[in-house]
Amino acid sequence: MPDLANAWFATRGWKPFAFQRQVWAAVGRGESGLLHASTGTGKTYAVWLAALRAFAQNSAGRQPAALQVLWITPMRALAADTARALQAPLDELQLNWSVGVRSGDTGSAERARQARRLPSALITTPESLTLLLTRAQAENDFASLRLVVVDEWHELLGNKRGVQLQLALARLRRWQPGLLVWGLSATLGNLDHAMQVLVPEHGLLVRGRQDKRLEVDTLIPAQLERFPWAGHMGLKMLAQVADELEHSASTLVFTNTRAQAELWYQALLDARPDWAGLIALHHASLARETRNWVEGALKKGELKAVVCTSSLDLGVDFLPVERVLQIGSAKGIARLTQRAGRSGHAPGRTSRITLVPTHSLELVEAAAAREALAAGRIEARRSPRLCMDVLVQHVVSMALGSGMRPDELLAEVRSTWAYRDLRDSHWQWALAFVRNGGSSLGAYPDYQRVEAHPDGIWRVASERLARRHRMGIGTIVSEASVQLKFWSKGGGGKTLGSVEEAFIARLRPGDTLMFGGRVLELVRVENMTAYVRRSTSRKAAVARWNGGRMPLSSELADALVEQLDAAAHGRFNNPELRAVRPLLALQAQWSAVPTTTTLLAETLNTRQGSHLFLYPFAGRMANLGLASLIAWRVSREQPLSVSIAVSDYGFELLTPSRIDWAAWLPRVLSAEHLLDDVLASLNAGEMALRRFREIAQICGLVFGGYPAAQKSMRQIQASSGLFFEVFRKHDPDNLLLGQARDEVLAEELEIERLRWQLEKMAARRLDLHVLKRPSPLAFTLLVEGLRETMSTEKLADRIARMVAELEQAAGTAHG
Amino acid sequence: MDELAIEYAGETLLLLADKAIYWPQQHTLLVADLHIGKAASYRALHQPVPRGTTEATLARLDQLLARYACNRLVVLGDFLHARTARAAGTLAALAAWRTRHCELEIVLVRGNHDRHAGDPPVELGITVHEEPWLLGPFALCHEPEPHASHAVLAGHVHPAYVLRGRARQRLRLPCFVIGAQVAVLPAFGEFTGGWNVAPQAGTRMFLTGADRVWPLTQ
Repeated sequence: MPDLANAWFATRGWKPFAFQRQVWAAVGRGESGLLHASTGTGKTYAVWLAALRAFAQNSAGRQPAALQVLWITPMRALAADTARALQAPLDELQLNWSVGVRSGDTGSAERARQARRLPSALITTPESLTLLLTRAQAENDFASLRLVVVDEWHELLGNKRGVQLQLALARLRRWQPGLLVWGLSATLGNLDHAMQVLVPEHGLLVRGRQDKRLEVDTLIPAQLERFPWAGHMGLKMLAQVADELEHSASTLVFTNTRAQAELWYQALLDARPDWAGLIALHHASLARETRNWVEGALKKGELKAVVCTSSLDLGVDFLPVERVLQIGSAKGIARLTQRAGRSGHAPGRTSRITLVPTHSLELVEAAAAREALAAGRIEARRSPRLCMDVLVQHVVSMALGSGMRPDELLAEVRSTWAYRDLRDSHWQWALAFVRNGGSSLGAYPDYQRVEAHPDGIWRVASERLARRHRMGIGTIVSEASVQLKFWSKGGGGKTLGSVEEAFIARLRPGDTLMFGGRVLELVRVENMTAYVRRSTSRKAAVARWNGGRMPLSSELADALVEQLDAAAHGRFNNPELRAVRPLLALQAQWSAVPTTTTLLAETLNTRQGSHLFLYPFAGRMANLGLASLIAWRVSREQPLSVSIAVSDYGFELLTPSRIDWAAWLPRVLSAEHLLDDVLASLNAGEMALRRFREIAQICGLVFGGYPAAQKSMRQIQASSGLFFEVFRKHDPDNLLLGQARDEVLAEELEIERLRWQLEKMAARRLDLHVLKRPSPLAFTLLVEGLRETMSTEKLADRIARMVAELEQAAGTAHG
Repeated sequence: MDELAIEYAGETLLLLADKAIYWPQQHTLLVADLHIGKAASYRALHQPVPRGTTEATLARLDQLLARYACNRLVVLGDFLHARTARAAGTLAALAAWRTRHCELEIVLVRGNHDRHAGDPPVELGITVHEEPWLLGPFALCHEPEPHASHAVLAGHVHPAYVLRGRARQRLRLPCFVIGAQVAVLPAFGEFTGGWNVAPQAGTRMFLTGADRVWPLTQ
């Protein structure tokens, strides 16, 4: 039989790249591995044709081949496009393979078909895969499986979805010891780790084509604000952006939040009404049909521009896209590369990304990003370890269907990278937790989730519980949301998408909101649905979503300080720095410009109290950790209530009482007793509680509710704080509490990054300035939204002070 | 100041820091929203919640009954959380608690949760009334709706107030909301949440926290 892969490439007039032949040969030899390359370089066909070449038969049997390939994709939106890409060679080579999709969007007819027999190649998500594993006949379903392909592995590696996938792969490997696993990944700073997590035994690392040319430039504002915060999400740049769009063919305009996308889309339409129908909006909360339409039109080249969020970060070839604009900071080099790769998405074409600053300091960031990219400083991503919440969920999942035997499951769990160091005691705790709530007997009377039967098999206690558990499988924790629909008598109005319940709760009927590029008036809210009608109002609230805010990566942060350092030494070597020069001059005049050898600190007294501004440039989360640490160390010696504001650049500590920050400074930055002090600061703050909210939902402690349930989820959500308190008081050794704390340490605060930061800061000269008014850098912190509080003051003293303040305010108002 | 005397409908009432009201003239202790067995009812639905919340709630009642001379305890609704709250352990704890206070008259004014949970077991010797139950100048209720002739004492909303101060300080505390015709008690139970309320014209607010009662100026 001729080589299928070469044959198909030949019919297309393509010549396989060396890396593609490398993968074909490796799969032929029965090896697993990881293929990394920038987007749009032919990764899909490297593995797909390898599979066809190795496993497809030319026989024309009546039935398509049984399940051979499982294709895991991180976004279900990508599934349909992947299916089309995989289908093309099948048709042309006349292979009797079928391709199917299984995700939350799959309809009931297709589900029924798949229940009888899975297609030859099944495209699915990590969550849907776990669900398939809970079927009673699962082992039989996967008996013929030869290869698992994990697409966009870099998107899963660093989070709990990736951990869930590791567990599912372990199960498949137990059934099929010879199973091949291939990951497809964009370039990362730690590819060895990426491969080890996916293929723990031994794999082949294949490097794809990296010769994609990338151009990064910046849209420099015609007029520069001397204060860095211009507000309005960068809309000052509207005219210039419109001008750029005018002169380009198809453009993607990336924003960092859905709210920002809504605002920009509306503003562009207001500026250029003639573009109605030529520009579109795309984000994850819009209805599926709307997004499909936008994606289709983009592919056909019918759109001039699409304003979008990370919803268009991945996969999907949009060949006509000529350039990409990024509004605001991309936060990391890898992300910037990924987004840039959305343009010129074909081998050999140039990608171009233009950065649009939303405030003046982002100009410096843009220059930093370009230099870091040129130097190849790409971020690393690491798999989380030993997540007890994901483990608890998995144990219950595996007790569904035909049930599980603890010993077998333990061996399987330990074969994953994430749980290879799982301690016996923790495993016993997880078993006890799903069986009767906890290790301390009697702490959870009458509670049961999984039953141990005399035959040694553990099964889920009731059918009702099984249904509820299947509904909750997954590790993506979302805010409660409501459907948004047009109002019509009888309720048949069109669905527009979804918004967070917390946002709708702030609106009253008659209020207006901006959604999906329309101004809408709220009619009524009932049964978890918000009904709206069109409005002619010009003013509207923009729907907001609490999407995760990405912290600035340390690679980009370091590059940023290098740019500032150059400026401080009078070197303005790029257009961005030259543009921001007046602002930096003001910063230098009122305070100082941060450099690579100094640590800038500023103090200020206002009516609000005493402020300390410190600029470690450590990224939002590490800055929060440093701020909590310093606050805790001061408050240990002097009872204190602090409000903390953090940005990617630095943090502000604000106390109502006068405090001489300068006197404390060098001492509280010590790296000694770091872990103990950070743990103690966690107990005084609110971070562990926030983390617990997610853990509680993943391990099934709080229940997210049925999709069509009429009851609000808010009651359950609000009570995760209550749960936290009850656990802390009545079962303080619960490992889930421990996990909340550990996750804060490892993921949010990144304790190692913190230690390293402190050492770095210790090596720098403290450059302290007493301000008369906020400096341009301080200003960014004063308007920052993310705030935390911490207190070691006696509760009674805090209440007394605040009550007294209220009285004083009332007295002034009356007088 | 772990208690604070106020005048309401011509009677002197003591607002207690532990989220109850003592009415000296009648030797009566008033509490609202105990939600006994809430944790047990979560466990029955396969949601793990550690035990101990019911015992803690009852222990706080013990302390108040020991400190104030009481002939009568009035629960302003939501004594039991749900039908599934009647777990063996919970009922045993309640029975043991009752024997410690066998002389005490206990009255429950039915709340919305009680209607679903059913009346407490007869052995507990609790007299149950529909709201409003009139006693002296007061209409004792669960839901805080005004009464035509009597001043209302009620629960149901679990009121809490967010105290804000300089330097963006923020504290959330359970509170009493005392209006001209309606007074609302904070929830007494351990495993209960709160509902934020804002001061209204003509109402007085009293916060509880750090074992004290704090009047709020308006």
